[in-house]
Amino acid sequence: MTTDRHIASAFDRDLEGVQALVLKMAGLVEAALADAATALETRDEAMAERVREGDTAIDALEEQVNTECIRLIAIRAPTAGDLRTVLTVMKIAGSLERCGDYAKNLAKRSIVLAQMHTIEGAAGSIRRMARQVSLLLKDALDAFISRDVDLAQAVRQQDRDIDQMYSALFREFLTHMMEDPRNITACMHLHFIAKNIERVGDHATTIAEQVIYLATGDLPRDPRPKSESVTMGNV
Amino acid sequence: MKDIRLERDVQTETNKIEARKVQVYYGTNHALKDVDVDILDKTVTAFIGPSGCGKSTFLRCLNRMNDTVASARVEGMITLEGENIYDPRVDPVQLRAKIGMVFQKPNPFPKSIYDNVAYGPKIHGLTRNKAELDEVVEACLRKAALWNEVKDRLQSPGTGLSGGQQQRLCIARAIATSPEVLLMDEPCSALDPIATAQVEELIDELRSQFSVVIVTHSMQQAARVSQRTAFFHLGYLVEYGETGAIFTNPKDPRTESYITGRIG
Repeated sequence: MTTDRHIASAFDRDLEGVQALVLKMAGLVEAALADAATALETRDEAMAERVREGDTAIDALEEQVNTECIRLIAIRAPTAGDLRTVLTVMKIAGSLERCGDYAKNLAKRSIVLAQMHTIEGAAGSIRRMARQVSLLLKDALDAFISRDVDLAQAVRQQDRDIDQMYSALFREFLTHMMEDPRNITACMHLHFIAKNIERVGDHATTIAEQVIYLATGDLPRDPRPKSESVTMGNV
Repeated sequence: MKDIRLERDVQTETNKIEARKVQVYYGTNHALKDVDVDILDKTVTAFIGPSGCGKSTFLRCLNRMNDTVASARVEGMITLEGENIYDPRVDPVQLRAKIGMVFQKPNPFPKSIYDNVAYGPKIHGLTRNKAELDEVVEACLRKAALWNEVKDRLQSPGTGLSGGQQQRLCIARAIATSPEVLLMDEPCSALDPIATAQVEELIDELRSQFSVVIVTHSMQQAARVSQRTAFFHLGYLVEYGETGAIFTNPKDPRTESYITGRIG
């Protein structure tokens, strides 16, 4: 796709405007994930509360992205790469909004977990997983900014690592629960947290695939590598 | 990409017009270079491109309108259902009855509304008597979505109609000889949006009967009315394909630059 300027410069400003909003959203989501994971590990309820409240801003940004995109479609009638840009922006905003919800959910659960006794090693593992997924999200957004198909492909491949981290945590929590039933409540919360972070990884993959569509006009056809997921037999 | 709009209809995959290695020179100016294109039957094909790109020139090759330009020279092969239209045995007047044309500015004859439509069938001897001619005139005016507006004043001059009505009258005139292909050179550029919408609706209806080839400066119009789009640039046919694909994912960067409104 071309990167030349439009003859109507206001068109460029509109397109850059919605993309800037999405990047701002991404910044908030990455920070929310990191803060929520830190709040879990440090049992910082005030910080967790701030993450919860911060989700309103992410939701508001998504709404603003949609409003601006609808306006842009109505006024500019974008075609080809411009049209794909607008559609991609809307889809990425949708994914980011979900990721924001997961961060908020993590924060909520961390407030509950702060009242319970610690599951050894769990918070640290969750924080590492959250950081890993944040990096993945960041790569997906970088791929979006630079229309970098190779980087987007790399993000698709790396989601497998997140899935593996989730599977490992799942087994760990299962072990804790079997060892001592008093761990069940905490471990269930931790499991939901891990599952939600794993979902953020899926959204990073969706964003990466959308970037490939944006850059090439086609969604990737090749199957994404999937690690052996948690088999029901283990449960 | 699947073409939903084409699939809606019965058959469209036969070529009506085939052009191969078409070159046009105006004097020493090489205006059209190596154009290869297949115009499908019962399909609206849009030609887009910046001014001077050769799209109108090519349109005018399709019914030998360039014969009337002294300095123009056409090379290459253009066939209508397999028959070379530049064969010396082909009578251009007969050809133009089969390949009708509608121009940018409505140009009704300075005659009555009735006579404007009746003219073609009369000179080509397509009707046997007045009753048949009346039928053809009514049918064409109906097809052109003009009948209800003019049925009570068929003897009034065609030039007295509004711009949009005049253009629809010209379309009625063009289809009165039962053409196989209808060429339209920016048929809506002198019309208001309502009249434009009426003409576009008409174009969509006409394609159930024949091929329509339309030259337009309005990208949105090309997107709205056509199933195939051809993009011309500097005398070359740059890209030709299914309209939806051209407007969502053009293959050539020049096409993308043009349709997205960038400096190419």
